[in-house]
Amino acid sequence: MESTSGTGFFTDTTLCIGCKACEVACKQWNELPSDGFDFSGNSYDNTRTLSGTTWRHVSFVEQMNVGASTIQDRWLMMSDVCKHCTHAGCLEACPTGAIIRNEFDNVYIQPDVCNGCGYCIPSCPFGVVDLISPAGDSRHAVYNTATLREDRGDQTAMQVTGGVAGKCTLCYDRQTIGFEPACAKACPTESIQFGNVAELKATAKQRVENLQQRGVDAYLYGVDETGSVGDLNAFFLLTERPEAYNLPPRPVLPSTHQPAAYASAALAVGALALIGTAIFRRAR
Amino acid sequence: MTDNLDPPALRDLEPTVSYFGQPLLKRPSWGWSVIGYLFLGGIMGGCGILVALSERRGDSGDRKLARNAKYLSLALAAACPVVLISHLGRPERFLYMLRIVKLKSPMSLGVWGLVAFSGVAGLNAVTAFFGKRGGVLNLPQALLGGFIAGYTGVLLSATAIPLWAKGKFHIPALCVCSGIAGACALNAMLLAADHAPETIHKLERLEMVAGLAEAGILLHFGSFSGIYGKPMYDGKRGERLRTYTLIFGTAVPLALNALPIFKGPLKTLISSALTLLGGYVLREALIEAGKDSADDPKAAFRQPE
Repeated sequence: MESTSGTGFFTDTTLCIGCKACEVACKQWNELPSDGFDFSGNSYDNTRTLSGTTWRHVSFVEQMNVGASTIQDRWLMMSDVCKHCTHAGCLEACPTGAIIRNEFDNVYIQPDVCNGCGYCIPSCPFGVVDLISPAGDSRHAVYNTATLREDRGDQTAMQVTGGVAGKCTLCYDRQTIGFEPACAKACPTESIQFGNVAELKATAKQRVENLQQRGVDAYLYGVDETGSVGDLNAFFLLTERPEAYNLPPRPVLPSTHQPAAYASAALAVGALALIGTAIFRRAR
Repeated sequence: MTDNLDPPALRDLEPTVSYFGQPLLKRPSWGWSVIGYLFLGGIMGGCGILVALSERRGDSGDRKLARNAKYLSLALAAACPVVLISHLGRPERFLYMLRIVKLKSPMSLGVWGLVAFSGVAGLNAVTAFFGKRGGVLNLPQALLGGFIAGYTGVLLSATAIPLWAKGKFHIPALCVCSGIAGACALNAMLLAADHAPETIHKLERLEMVAGLAEAGILLHFGSFSGIYGKPMYDGKRGERLRTYTLIFGTAVPLALNALPIFKGPLKTLISSALTLLGGYVLREALIEAGKDSADDPKAAFRQPE
């Protein structure tokens, strides 16, 4: 599949008003359970983070009374989502082949193939994927009908008893019938734009240029990246350092550590096998 | 169109801000079953290597060791999937991993390594049962054993968890050394009743070398890992690691095995049990500290290259 034909999100944080319509629309369409009701104390953000059952998360970056800093007081909002990476750590790590790149070039978890091993969770450099607790846990009781909605009818009898990984599907089911994802549909300010990634990137670059001409320090996160993760099919327009939004400044693809790690193991096995041979060969 | 849409200065500043201190990464969901698997898998791999080492031109003690190591390999190969399945929830979920071979995924390769090892270990245990030597089975069993002892470390290193990623040079070797030391200890225990002092002595020497290497790597990683190593080396967990893995798990067995004043089956039993304890605590420290490492946004913002 040509990456130019893929779909994705362009999330323009300068347009976000923090209404959380994306969070609600995502939960409703995908029939995801509530996160419970508690106050985090983190500005208006009581969602805190993306999770196995929260696939859009609006963060509220408060920059008030920053003192000597030249930054004006401001309140930044960003709707976070799975990045659908060009080189996806979760997809590479998955031992069952449950995580695939689908016909829309999105990173998609097939819940009926996932065996809940949990290896994708530490393999995501953005901390997006998480395990959904087994059905039966009251908080996630609706899970079976939620993530499996596209399989409804023939697979409803399937019982998920050991937990599976969950994250944004980029509304795969909606895309197959020509709808845009629920979050983009619900966004009242077009902060979340859905479409062909190549076209979105062109739009985004134009937008950055316009903003910069108006004196806004805007830049794109996830476009023309040089790191091992590559470009993000769900990319962002930011006006602050990535870590202010809880995004890694330089995400690293976990599989890049493998050559050194395999060498370390091979060296240890080789050295100890040689020494062992010497010890056991010696006639005493 | 501007040339520089990504001001590099913005990315390369030392991270001073975080998002309300929220963790960037998700905590790995792994508990006692994965810790247990890493521990048993390491010993199993070590047993595979011992099979080949001891049967090359052994005396009667070495032959007993080869036979024991073959039986142990098979027993552990049977136990490991059980432990893994308890982690996955349902038995058939283990089979999902046998749908595909994925070279990029250490977990996929590891499962196939486990399957292959089980096959070879089974055949070799049957030949041993009928009093035959392993012959051509020994080398594959040793190679697969070495792979299994080491891939668990690769599996941890090939993640975004700052502590594990930083440990890509150390953790795989650590797993191998600890696995081989554990296999030596377990086999020495089994031989203690068998009146095979020569073979036990050889095992103890290999165990000493592996234990020394393990301690050296562990100590070096402590300074090499810097801020990434804090969850493993600081506080109560660091104290537990030093007490049980370095002192009781390595230094005490080393002294018991090296000093000629300590002799006999009781000494073998004690030093072996301590080595095994140290190996378990090491695996526990790696997994549990990895979870805490995921909680540290400052470390996660500077993902080790």
